[in-house]
Amino acid sequence: MNIHTYEKVWLIAALVLIVGFIATVTYGSVGLGIAMIDDSEETVEPGELGEDERFADPRVEQVGENEYEAYVVAQTFMFSPDPIEVPAGSEVTFYVTSRDVIHSFSVAGTNINTMVIPGEVATMTVEFDEPGEYGVVCNEYCGSGHHNMEGQLHVVEEDEFDMTELSVEADDEVETGDEATIDVAVENRMLEELETTVTLEIDGETFGEDVTVAGGETETTTFTVDTADLGEGDHDWTVTVDDYEDSGTLTVVDELEEEDDDDE
Amino acid sequence: MSRLTEEPAQRQEIDHDEYDPIGTLALIGLYFLILAFLWVFMYFVEFLGNEPTVVGGFVTVVGVL
Amino acid sequence: MMTMSNAYIDDFPAEAKVIRAAFYSSFFALALGGVFGVIQTLHRTGYYRFIDSADYYTVLTAHGVFLVISFTIFFLVGIFTWAVTTSLDRGVEDLRFTWGWYGLMAIGITLSGVAILAGFTDATDISASVLFTFYAPLQGHPMFYLGLVLFVVGTWLAGVDWFRSWWAWKGENPDERIPLPTFMVLTTMLMWYIATLGVAAAILLFLLPWSLGWIETVNPLLTRTLFWFFGHPVVYFWLMPAYMMWYVLLPKVSGGKLFSDPLARVVFVLFLILSVPTGIHHQYLDPGIAEGFKFIAMTNTMFLLLPSLLTAFTVVASMEHGARQRGGTGYFGWLKALPWRDPVFTGMALAGLMFAAAGFSGMVNAGMNINYLVHNTFWVVGHFHLTVGTAVALTFMAVTYWFLPQVTGKALWSRSVALGQVVLWFVGMTFMSNAMHRAGLLGVPRRTAEPQYDGFEFEAAVGSIGELQAQIALGGILLTLSLVLFFANVIGTGLNGRSDDLPANEYAGTLSGPEDAPLVLDNLKLWTAIAIVLVIFAYTFPLLSIVDRGGLFGPELNPFPVSIESVTLLAFAVEHLAVGALESLSLPGLLEVIR
Ligand code: HEM
Ligand SMILES: [Cu+2]
Ligand SMILES: [Cu+2]
Repeated sequence: MNIHTYEKVWLIAALVLIVGFIATVTYGSVGLGIAMIDDSEETVEPGELGEDERFADPRVEQVGENEYEAYVVAQTFMFSPDPIEVPAGSEVTFYVTSRDVIHSFSVAGTNINTMVIPGEVATMTVEFDEPGEYGVVCNEYCGSGHHNMEGQLHVVEEDEFDMTELSVEADDEVETGDEATIDVAVENRMLEELETTVTLEIDGETFGEDVTVAGGETETTTFTVDTADLGEGDHDWTVTVDDYEDSGTLTVVDELEEEDDDDE
Repeated sequence: MSRLTEEPAQRQEIDHDEYDPIGTLALIGLYFLILAFLWVFMYFVEFLGNEPTVVGGFVTVVGVL
Repeated sequence: MMTMSNAYIDDFPAEAKVIRAAFYSSFFALALGGVFGVIQTLHRTGYYRFIDSADYYTVLTAHGVFLVISFTIFFLVGIFTWAVTTSLDRGVEDLRFTWGWYGLMAIGITLSGVAILAGFTDATDISASVLFTFYAPLQGHPMFYLGLVLFVVGTWLAGVDWFRSWWAWKGENPDERIPLPTFMVLTTMLMWYIATLGVAAAILLFLLPWSLGWIETVNPLLTRTLFWFFGHPVVYFWLMPAYMMWYVLLPKVSGGKLFSDPLARVVFVLFLILSVPTGIHHQYLDPGIAEGFKFIAMTNTMFLLLPSLLTAFTVVASMEHGARQRGGTGYFGWLKALPWRDPVFTGMALAGLMFAAAGFSGMVNAGMNINYLVHNTFWVVGHFHLTVGTAVALTFMAVTYWFLPQVTGKALWSRSVALGQVVLWFVGMTFMSNAMHRAGLLGVPRRTAEPQYDGFEFEAAVGSIGELQAQIALGGILLTLSLVLFFANVIGTGLNGRSDDLPANEYAGTLSGPEDAPLVLDNLKLWTAIAIVLVIFAYTFPLLSIVDRGGLFGPELNPFPVSIESVTLLAFAVEHLAVGALESLSLPGLLEVIR
């Protein structure tokens, strides 16, 4: 077979290109540590995500000092949680699965991009150095509402990030003279201890209490309010812990309903 | 001759041994340079500059090898 | 009686009729596909929306299926029939068989097409808006899958037809080399037989029974992997006929000869053995497939660049040969000596140029980790409008200007309109595809009716999204105009009377001919065996692993869109048909044996 010298030159050049491409990609994998989506996770039952430890309650969890895991469920036509919130300066591993058909989880303008296949769990570990807000799109056709499938990923300033959850239980209606109680539960889902102040504001008066909540724990602070001071009528209250707020109305009445009377 | 594909006005017959496709070599050399440049640009500027990127734990990286 | 001309139709009038039928089927699909193309371009970019966004996906399914299944494949069975009959210089063995496979393909695509288009109306419960990839658990009407099966079986029989011709010819010419065009057809078909096993398995074992309600569930990753087993090589099924045109027709219209017949054979052999074991490169971002398998697929894919890069050299060198014979000189000056006023030449040359550009986005798509950047973005759409949408489609349109007179016996209606058409396609595609690539890099997704979101906007470092949308819309309109010109020419030619002044039915000679090619190149059995071994290497472990993880039939999942009433009816009909066919075919024979 006689091959022209020029064509031999080109053959060699073409092989150089090909080997160069493979070498670059290998350098990305080995040298820079860029990992592919793979088969490292066990399969899950898409119909039973409700009983799955990770996906029953899609959320972000802290697993190490600057390490987080995000359990994300894609379904027609939404992502949950939405928005996904993580701190800057952290390493986040996303676990993404689907409840129904094939979707994707693609963070626009970044290299965070994976197919989401029912039964399979895609994992991606990503380092977020800077704060920013990103859009998340589904780039695989998943049905007639596919174009409405979007979410948000918020990377917030490290010192503005917390995983505090506030829940308040308060009396609705109290008889004049009795004490009203407002229980404030502060859950700290971070690993580090949380030092903060719980404030209650009612009728313009402010009460504060410092609390320390250990990592992964919940502390309950109880405020008791003397209704005699408040007087009859509706009183709006607000509980604040850092950026979280809950509010309600306490009604102080002359006498409570009859049934209660009968008991006495 | 046909109106359809007018036989090109051929002036000379060049056979295999007298023909060196030097123009092809020039063109394809240019193509090579363009491809090589664009590859480097796409990989190192567009791709690596499009952070954040998925990184594995060390284990996964070793797994490749 | 003496005929003045030596056109194809003069030598093979009956075959010319089949080829005409295939071409017209192909053009009909192109027309439909083009209409859907411009609708979706204007819809996505927001310039003109007259359909509901939910219907966008029906439009997109039709655009995809009609263009890459019917348009391309009907056209290529036409030119393959031409290639085999012309290069072996013998008619088909059995004309009824030839019409048979054509008919099967036509029935198949009609069933699928009707299932898709029925999605536009509520009058029936039939729909198949599952796109041309039909990923489960998205579920189409059984008629859609059934149609695809018949269509593919039609192509298989077409291959049998060509092999029969070759065997008969070999019997009479035992010591001759396989003529190059026939060699190309046979290697392409061997590749196609291996490739379609994937989609046949996906449909026959899983999707069709599932859509008929015979099985409850499927494993989405498994059917998807089987789809891509076929989905990558199918692109070579479109491309290899275009390459064939560049090898056997382009040198001729350039006024030269094919530079190297042996290398052309090497290229087609490489396609045969490397096309299939690469499909996993479409699944770089799929969970459930190990990174190692992805790496192997990438290596194979990268080496698959080789035949294309070799083709670039051989084809350009053949053009240059023509140019030099026409008096061209210099390093680049010879380009001016090429027949740029000939639409057949210019169309193919521009198609080749765009294919060179596609090489750039293709190498990016082939890269494993860089896939995070582009996977399923508009970049990919930009890429394949350069490959199948131009390298293939424009080549097919350009050679139509040569073939149409050959198979109709009528002179082309207008050469200048033809020239305008191919140039317009080139310009339109430059706008559309370039902007699609750029939009993809910003993260704009493909397959999306309204890529405009509530919560965020895509940010462009250079230019703006608005500017990109405008270019895409402009490109789409120019492409549509180009199609209008194309059809004007096809119809105009059809209305012409018979001409006895047509060019002869010939293809390019060679500078370095088959006598320079080692005999082993024609050993089709060897190459097929190697191809099969490579496929087994590349796919056994991934498939086993997928089945092991997710099960053969996958997890409990509801089909989506959920099943439909007419399904039961169809299930019954299919069963009936299958039983009937079995009875008429094999049962008598079997009974005979039993008795
Ligand atoms: C008038 C000419 C054409 C126009 C305006 C056009 C436009 C488009 C657009 C805008 C899309 C993207 C839709 C989306 O992802 O949301 C698309 C997809 C596509 N086009 Fe075209 N196109 C044209 C011609 C062609 C040709 C000639 C072919 C192939 C022979 C082709 C094959 C495809 C395929 C396979 C898809 C992908 C379908 C899918 O994602 O399921 N197009 N086209
Ligand atoms: Cu979607
Ligand atoms: Cu591919």
